[in-house]
Amino acid sequence: MHQPSFVERHLRVIFPLPAILFIGLLMIFPILYTLALSFTSWNLTSGAPLRFVGLRNYEQILTEPRFLDAVMRTFGFTIFAVLIEAVLGTVVALILNRAFIGKSLAKLLLLLPLVATPVAVGIVFNLFYDPTIGLANFALSSLGLPQGLWISNAASVIPSLIVVDVWQWTPMITLIVLAGLAGLSEEPFEAARVDGATQWQVLRYVTIPMVMPTILTAVILRLIDALKTFDIIFAMTGGGPGYASETLNIMGFKYSFEYFRMGQASVILIALFFFVLLCSLGIMKLRASSEN
Amino acid sequence: MIKKSIPQEILFYLAVVFISLVVLFPFLWMLSSSFKTQTDIIAWPPKLIFSPTLHNYEKVFGEQDFLKYFINSTVVGGLAVGLSLVLGLPAAYSISRFTQRKLALFILLARLMPGISFLMPWYIIFSRLGLMDTYVALVLSHMLIALPIVVWIMSSYFNSIPVELEESAMVDGATRQYAFWAIILPMSGPGIITSVTLSFIFSWNNFMFSQVLSMEKTRTLPIAVYNFVSYAEVDWGGVMAAAVAIMAPAILLTMIFQKFVVKGLTMGAVKG
Amino acid sequence: MKKILTSTVVLMSSLCLSAGAYAQTKEIRVLLANHPYGELLKTAIPEFEKQSGIKVNFESLQEGQLTTKLTTEFATKSSSVDVFMTRPLQEGKMFNKNGWYEPLKAYDFSDYPKNVMSVAAAGATPFLVPLVTEWQVLYYRKDLFQAAGLQVPKTFAELEATAQKLNSDAVAGIASRGKGAAAVTQLSSYVYNYGGLYIDKGVAVFDQPAAIDAIRYYGKLLGTYGPKGVTSMSWENIMPLFQAGKVAMWTDASVFYGQIVDPAKTQIPAADVGIADLPAGPKAGSPFIVTSWGIAVANQSKNKEAALKFLDWASSKELATKGMLSNITMARTSVWKDPKVLEAVNPGLVATRAYAAEKGYPLDRPYMSAVGEARDQIGELIIESINTKGASTTLADMARAKAARVNDLLKDAGEYGQP
Repeated sequence: MHQPSFVERHLRVIFPLPAILFIGLLMIFPILYTLALSFTSWNLTSGAPLRFVGLRNYEQILTEPRFLDAVMRTFGFTIFAVLIEAVLGTVVALILNRAFIGKSLAKLLLLLPLVATPVAVGIVFNLFYDPTIGLANFALSSLGLPQGLWISNAASVIPSLIVVDVWQWTPMITLIVLAGLAGLSEEPFEAARVDGATQWQVLRYVTIPMVMPTILTAVILRLIDALKTFDIIFAMTGGGPGYASETLNIMGFKYSFEYFRMGQASVILIALFFFVLLCSLGIMKLRASSEN
Repeated sequence: MIKKSIPQEILFYLAVVFISLVVLFPFLWMLSSSFKTQTDIIAWPPKLIFSPTLHNYEKVFGEQDFLKYFINSTVVGGLAVGLSLVLGLPAAYSISRFTQRKLALFILLARLMPGISFLMPWYIIFSRLGLMDTYVALVLSHMLIALPIVVWIMSSYFNSIPVELEESAMVDGATRQYAFWAIILPMSGPGIITSVTLSFIFSWNNFMFSQVLSMEKTRTLPIAVYNFVSYAEVDWGGVMAAAVAIMAPAILLTMIFQKFVVKGLTMGAVKG
Repeated sequence: MKKILTSTVVLMSSLCLSAGAYAQTKEIRVLLANHPYGELLKTAIPEFEKQSGIKVNFESLQEGQLTTKLTTEFATKSSSVDVFMTRPLQEGKMFNKNGWYEPLKAYDFSDYPKNVMSVAAAGATPFLVPLVTEWQVLYYRKDLFQAAGLQVPKTFAELEATAQKLNSDAVAGIASRGKGAAAVTQLSSYVYNYGGLYIDKGVAVFDQPAAIDAIRYYGKLLGTYGPKGVTSMSWENIMPLFQAGKVAMWTDASVFYGQIVDPAKTQIPAADVGIADLPAGPKAGSPFIVTSWGIAVANQSKNKEAALKFLDWASSKELATKGMLSNITMARTSVWKDPKVLEAVNPGLVATRAYAAEKGYPLDRPYMSAVGEARDQIGELIIESINTKGASTTLADMARAKAARVNDLLKDAGEYGQP
């Protein structure tokens, strides 16, 4: 064996170093910068110099009803959307989990919403939801049902947005669960059948418990992404009507790039960051425990 | 498999068709609207039969300069993915071979954190440096989307390559970095295709970073589509044609590399 | 590996350089808006370059992005912008307060109406040149009016009665923006006609009875006779409805006239589209007439001489005439008297402009630095009023809270109580 050179001896540092530096520079540094800004009065519109104001921004934002509403809304949207996606996604996966003609085509179709540009999806659904010329109301009225206001009404805007999110992301749960199902060993199924279990019993007591870890991982991944949903809400409602669909992401965006209140915006961004971090720690815990 | 009865089979295929239709419907509707005139689109009841027009596409690629945004999106996505491979492949190799789990989590963080919490500082810093509306700012930001995907997918891909391969080369006197370059990388085609396809698609679809960091010169397709509602005019047909134009490449890539995309997505590295 | 990294660094830095390579004298950077007049300037710039020998690097941006870009560049003192198109009512107050506009002492402003100049100058010092003007009008469907035997309404009472008569399942009696912040500009004329204001001498007064009455009327009108989902509608949602023949009357800015009579975009014949003065309210007949776009020189500019030359050219009478001929309603008074122009421009526009120029009010939103946030506050009142068809029992209390909030914003910016 040759004598390892300096590079070779330190490969474990040298190889990942550029990536670490890059992420440190582009992610960690900006987050610290945001944290620092959250203690200042910086407001681009006032032209006044940056001043240290301690916790004043936190006091103002954390007691602001608009912020508290946005927090509740963010979680409401996330939980309902992901719950529906998890149930629907699993059901569809269980249906498709067999050999059939056109299976690979069906799987390709399932991929399409996942790779569709969210902004464009939002705009397409906007036309769909239009109360006067949209297809959604046409469908309702041809079924003899009363027409809805969809994203035009404070009460129905979040459910309407959830529908879009469900359309786009249910297939991801389906695909992950399908992959999980494909990886299951045959033995427990054989055993159950030998014991004379019905199809339903096999499903209830063998299949579902066995894919549960996969479903959970998929759900947590979706949870984190759903918390950060931005594109479709921004493109479809911009947070409206009023603030009825304003999530933390949208509120942070408005405070930064419309109101230019950098100090207060930082507090909102940090709050969102904090929530996502909590969920992420959850996923890592779960991964670690499932690996052991 | 248990034998199914015929009614059960019919029910099953009906379910498959129903699911496919729900998934496909928005695409079909977008496609049909893109061939309608403005008056046909706003007609009530919605017209199923109409004389198709290419006018919307002519408008999108003629008047609206979509070709330029197309090129911008491709350049930004291509550079971001390319540079992410340069940074990400060695990092993924190191994570895989030296089981650096903490490092893997650190890089995964970039995938999990909300983009907007770094966007505002970037905006200020890039403005100060005069980098707004340059490819530099966009490529750097899109790399933050692509790099975690590359590292995530490639580190588990490297895990599946037996370590004996490098070791035997190293016994023959090759350095480890040479073994990585000459033996491991050439074997990594499928993994690289997966990570390139996925990270390119997520860069292609990214809206938030480009909305803030790009302007006239470097504007990418999603922003152009969003801005299509221009001053004093809303042109649904044009918007739909633009939506088709932006989705087509991502869908095409997905069709070509279907197996790889499914693999990458189900590995858990999803959505930028 | 190393080689790839170094070449990456080289590539990146060369990208930086090519992006930062402005400078040299006789070269200016101009930011234009994605607005028809911006387009017009764009196509005419080569001409200017030829006659002046100044090279013009221009970018055109969508209006929101333009504001954001200018604000951050100026606030972080990193700007290389020399001349820019600007929205006086949206950002004028803030830009002027922060000293981002170059004072325009030498410019000849005699061709601009007096009320227009109030947003182009601070005291005696003008800081921007008005380019485009907009005023509120009533669009209506002549055919529907004729079929119902109705006259064009002259007062708010008649407007409501007409809306009621024209309202049906298929056609909404009247439309106007209802989408919160976006509706604030259209509500403004209603407030003026009820004798109210948004802000008076630096104090928020939209919680006073006159303004509340106007907000109630607006809410009743749209809540009862408006299209479905009007609280999420801005012009971009209403225009297609009007074009599809689903709205009988529409009050909005004059800029949309060209679009709704364009046969390629509308289902109703141009002959059936009418344009009229906004009906008068109980106290006044004073629609907004605003300078929607102006042009200014950046205070930070290092090429002021060339920048001023460009400004003179871009706001010249010749280009204003060209603008009028391509249906852009320009701010200069003289072009509205030019017979060649009058021949080409729709008489309805000329007549409604004359009315608005004489009686109108030069603001359509709270004139303050934090205008975006103030609009959001007033927008909430509009939505509440529409949702309750003007009968909200909490509107007055809400308005008081919102006005207090806007007053806080004014205080934060040091504009409270300032005329």
